[in-house]
Amino acid sequence: MAYSDKVIDHFNNPRNMGSFGKDEEGVGTGMVGAPECGDVMKLQIKVQDNRIVDAKFKTFGCGSAIASSSLATEWLKGKTLEEAQQIKNTDIVQELNLPPVKIHCSVLAEDAIKAALADYQKKAAAKTSSGSSQ
Amino acid sequence: MNQQPPSKSRNVGMARSMCWHCQSELTGEYFCERCVKIQPVSKDTDYFTCLGLPRRLTIDPAVLEANYYERSRTFHPDFYLNKTEAERAISLANAATLNTAYRTLKDPVQRAEYLLDLEAGAVKTIRTSPPDDLFEEILELQEMLDTYRAEPPASEQNQQLLARLQHKRESLERRQQELEQELPQLFAEWDALQDQTPEDDQSRLERDRVLKRMREILSNRTYIKNILNDLIDSIG
Repeated sequence: MAYSDKVIDHFNNPRNMGSFGKDEEGVGTGMVGAPECGDVMKLQIKVQDNRIVDAKFKTFGCGSAIASSSLATEWLKGKTLEEAQQIKNTDIVQELNLPPVKIHCSVLAEDAIKAALADYQKKAAAKTSSGSSQ
Repeated sequence: MNQQPPSKSRNVGMARSMCWHCQSELTGEYFCERCVKIQPVSKDTDYFTCLGLPRRLTIDPAVLEANYYERSRTFHPDFYLNKTEAERAISLANAATLNTAYRTLKDPVQRAEYLLDLEAGAVKTIRTSPPDDLFEEILELQEMLDTYRAEPPASEQNQQLLARLQHKRESLERRQQELEQELPQLFAEWDALQDQTPEDDQSRLERDRVLKRMREILSNRTYIKNILNDLIDSIG
């Protein structure tokens, strides 16, 4: 099976690789894994005024998993939280031309986005409630 | 061919099927009692049944092996060399299924994976949450490995890194062992639940707990196994 040019490009030049401090202001962290293949993906977003201003990822897995998360961070930047919620794994499959056996990599990326958004919202809610009680 | 409505023919299929050769109803396990032709192992037959074992996770290796050899002799393609092509094909397919069944059940980890697949309907709703500390450790280790690979092997920095990586490797191997050691106890708990009738709410909860824990152990084991393979590739 051959990887598509886009997968190879993201694999060789991953965008936004790295991480933010977990407790940094406005950061949401999503950590997901695929037990079947052992891939591990960490995706983080940095939010200001309801908009994602930066995104980073670290992925330990196959080329498709790395490309999926790299692409996801590219797409996330500049999106509002609502728009980010709309990103579907099928969009990633289409953009990267993933073959059926690699679809789970895109699912992993979608899960990571959702997890990062949920983590950010959880932290934001905790902050407002502790802020108002003071 | 039979003209029965689909629903009824499905029921017939679920009961004992017919001999592919003489069309008489099958009563024997792998041979037709009337025409003595070998019968294909049904695709619905699970590996436990295939090897004449109850669906239990604690397996006596001696019994497993004895049953395997007995069936191997029955299906072995060498004994069908002078038979028809159809019979040769069936014996070959049966022998292949039998080999896969034996390999799967022989290894406790594969056996547990297989049971979880069989029980998938029940487990699908249980999603195990990934252990954050393990993930952080894997990602951190992966970075250390990247640094290690990028530097000349003999440099002082790499010698220090190598020592740390070796230490990590030992601790991960210990963790993997600990996970595997937990399996026999879970196997025993699962088997005890299967023997318990009737099934009530309490035993259903217990059942889900055991399945979920097994899923967790096997998943974490895969994560650790992958990073260990990478480690061993790099540091030998």
